[in-house]
Amino acid sequence: MKKEIGSFVVGDSTKCTGCKACEVACFTVHNRKSNHVGNTVGTVTVPVTPRLFLTRFDQGCMPIQCKHCEDAPCLNACSKGAISRIDHQVIVDAEKCIGCKDCMQACPFGAIALLPYAKDGRLVAQPMSEEPKVFASKCDLCAGIEGGPACVRVCPHQALRLVDPEAEREEKNIRAAESLLLTKDWR
Amino acid sequence: MGIPEIEDAGCLLCFGYNGADSHPIVARRIVRGKQKGMKIICADPRVTETARISDIHLQLKGGSNLALVNAMANVIWNEGLADTRFIEEHTKGFDEFLKVIEKYTPEYAEPITHIPADEIRRAARMYATTKPAMILYGMGVCQFTQAVDVVKGLANLALMTGNFGGPSMGIGPVRGQNNVQGACDMGALPNSYPGYQNVTVPEIREKFEKAWGVPLSDQVGCPITHVPHRILHEKDEKKRIHAYYIFGEDPAQSDPDLAEVREALDKCDFVVMQDIYMNKTGLYADVILPATAWGENEGIYTCADRGFQRVRKLIEPEGDMRPDWKIIADISTAMGYPMNYRNTEEIWNEMIDLCPSFTGATYEKIEKYGGVQWPCRDKSMEDRGTPYLHKDGIFATKDHKALFYGTDWHPPVELENDQYPMTLSTVREVGHYSVRTMTGNCRTLRNLEDEPGWVQMNTQDCEKMRLKKGELVKILSKRGYCITRCLPTDRVKPGATYMTYQWWIGACNELTTAKLDPISNTPEYKYCACRVEKIQDQEWAERHVRELYDDIRAQMGIDTGKGAEA
Amino acid sequence: MNYFVKGNPDLCIGCRTCMIGCVVAHEGKHIFEVDPDSYSFNPKLHMVKTARLSVPVQCKHCENPACMAVCPAGAISQKDHCIVIDTDKCMGCKSCMDACPFGAINMTVQTGKFQADGSEKKVANKCDLCYGLPGGPACVRVCPTEALTLVTEEKLGEAMEHKRMEAARNTYRETHPQE
Repeated sequence: MKKEIGSFVVGDSTKCTGCKACEVACFTVHNRKSNHVGNTVGTVTVPVTPRLFLTRFDQGCMPIQCKHCEDAPCLNACSKGAISRIDHQVIVDAEKCIGCKDCMQACPFGAIALLPYAKDGRLVAQPMSEEPKVFASKCDLCAGIEGGPACVRVCPHQALRLVDPEAEREEKNIRAAESLLLTKDWR
Repeated sequence: MGIPEIEDAGCLLCFGYNGADSHPIVARRIVRGKQKGMKIICADPRVTETARISDIHLQLKGGSNLALVNAMANVIWNEGLADTRFIEEHTKGFDEFLKVIEKYTPEYAEPITHIPADEIRRAARMYATTKPAMILYGMGVCQFTQAVDVVKGLANLALMTGNFGGPSMGIGPVRGQNNVQGACDMGALPNSYPGYQNVTVPEIREKFEKAWGVPLSDQVGCPITHVPHRILHEKDEKKRIHAYYIFGEDPAQSDPDLAEVREALDKCDFVVMQDIYMNKTGLYADVILPATAWGENEGIYTCADRGFQRVRKLIEPEGDMRPDWKIIADISTAMGYPMNYRNTEEIWNEMIDLCPSFTGATYEKIEKYGGVQWPCRDKSMEDRGTPYLHKDGIFATKDHKALFYGTDWHPPVELENDQYPMTLSTVREVGHYSVRTMTGNCRTLRNLEDEPGWVQMNTQDCEKMRLKKGELVKILSKRGYCITRCLPTDRVKPGATYMTYQWWIGACNELTTAKLDPISNTPEYKYCACRVEKIQDQEWAERHVRELYDDIRAQMGIDTGKGAEA
Repeated sequence: MNYFVKGNPDLCIGCRTCMIGCVVAHEGKHIFEVDPDSYSFNPKLHMVKTARLSVPVQCKHCENPACMAVCPAGAISQKDHCIVIDTDKCMGCKSCMDACPFGAINMTVQTGKFQADGSEKKVANKCDLCYGLPGGPACVRVCPTEALTLVTEEKLGEAMEHKRMEAARNTYRETHPQE
């Protein structure tokens, strides 16, 4: 029964209006505890660091985020062991990350960004330097956050979907099997 | 009737028989028949593969077989669809039979079978008016306390419609095990010598005494399903069983109420197990005799259509295994009755000379024709056997007439109750043969299905209990419990559960009842009351199942370096 | 045109011999002799059983494959009437799995291969029509009820031609009832 694979969120460019509610929600839920971010702008004292990226292209826009690959190039590229698979998802340990950018280059989706690392409402400085510490920021499917991925919940146009790939595959299988009833006498 | 004839029937009544899981090669004939335009009526509480392609699926409540069969007979008679000429010329006892089925109107049967009365009528009409009509029945008929009555009931249907004695008609038992027909033919029954010659008939006994040079008992022996009782509870010291020689059988897995079987094997003074691989019974054996498998030995099997067929050796056995016949001959010799057969043909020749209905079935003839269906009485090459036992309605009885035999329906022994509100029926799985002594050792099949197996339950029942596919559940009856995985499916009705019987961990025979059909002594595997319980701690359950499996494998001496990746 | 294998639910008995045949064809007969946990049992077709339906489902080898369009690694390509996955290039991003409308692609463990953190490596898995193997698709060969057919351009073309002829004849008959 050990066939489980990671879930992921995908955007739908036919529904997305580019409002960035997903990015804001993502930042908010990930920084509530660690940086005391509340429901209003006034509570934000640190840079806004989303883990998914609203992307505009010639024909429209949509958020792009991590697919939690099953042979994840980012994970394999990380020399520091800062990226690992936890409960089937690909998770970055921000504390361990040294900002080498290998994962960014390895990721075929551009789903990772180097963003400033903050704690307790304040940027964390690098040791021996004035510059803030950065970390590889990417979707963690809101691990440990109640209610599941915030982006999916807040999107006003239902342009984001949490995919359980194996369950969806089985459902699509059933539809495909049913359609075979219509084509069985193809000759 | 033979298996190849199935596809040419006009109508097939498939009763309590799931060919796709039990015999895919027979199922192939059913599928081909359907393609050729055969009408299919399937009586089964589950949506089996045959039910899926049937014209009428009678999804009856488990344990209501005879009510349905009698109701079909009632419709056939009352709507004037019976073959009165055939009944007149070839049968006896029809009037008595009519009295029995009189009350079984479809409306009377509806609340018992849970099948709408009109659906029963439709099925009866289709069966009676489409010629030739064939009946196949399987363990869904035989594994009830009312089993033989239903077989006779099905035969009644064939008799009253004149469907006997020709191609693609009649009534076909599709047997539970490979060569079970052969085992019965060879007298592996408590009441008969080879060739269905009764042990209680003095002339027959004398014939065998003379041939074998030993005095023989005139008493009927003990059926396998009585053995636990005869070991554990027999008051008469002389009748108590002290030694149990088991070969090619795994009662500690396949027999009902396993707790009782284990107790019996434990208390039995001496247990011999003769098999090709280690199995659960082997854990209780004092002596294990390793035998050769198919492909390593030769002999004769009988097909379900009474056809004797040669099986041949493909490879030489390795190690200290020996064919069953050699082991038996050696033990007999050691016990003071020398058996000096040089090959299986010598044994066969001795046997056919003692069995009039097999006498003509020589190795030479079987070899030449590919197979011979008994009765075959003459050794000359002209006697090619008997494809139709009751050819043209001339029945193989003393007065050449068939006898109608009507009985009333009675419910199964253990019904659902407050404590055990669901029912359990044991079934088969296509990838594993019987108790899987053989197939359990095929590594690739283990990848398709593995311990602890599944319990098939209706999706509504699963939703009520919040059970998901693959979740481990505990299933209990009055006699015991086991752990298995939940398989929600709309192919079974609410309130019913189904488990395959080959798993060591998910061993459904821990739950089944040892109540028997009074004539065949077959247990009621297809019906007992049970309860399914959700297991909250799934991690514990997964670990527990793995430990149980590793433990059994360790006891059996199977490589334990690597446990089951359940 | 790409070829494809399709199942007929009227003939299928749900026995899954096709799945075993598929694994044997791709893994080799040694699987009958090794520890079942030492190799990856990955049938490339999926037996679907609903209340009234049993049939295997596999890749249709689309002419404009959605899986191929979304693959960021260029791991999916068209070769000799067939859409195939290069598992060396695949990184298991599941985009193809999400894109395929038939659920014909799943993710399977690559035995003996691990990611940098020691977790199992999984890649996309789907029917390749037994690409490069002698005898054509194994599922078609092993099915006991002949429920699976390899549909080729020729066979599909013949069927369409036949249907057009029938349609034309029927129309003609209707307009010329006297003949």
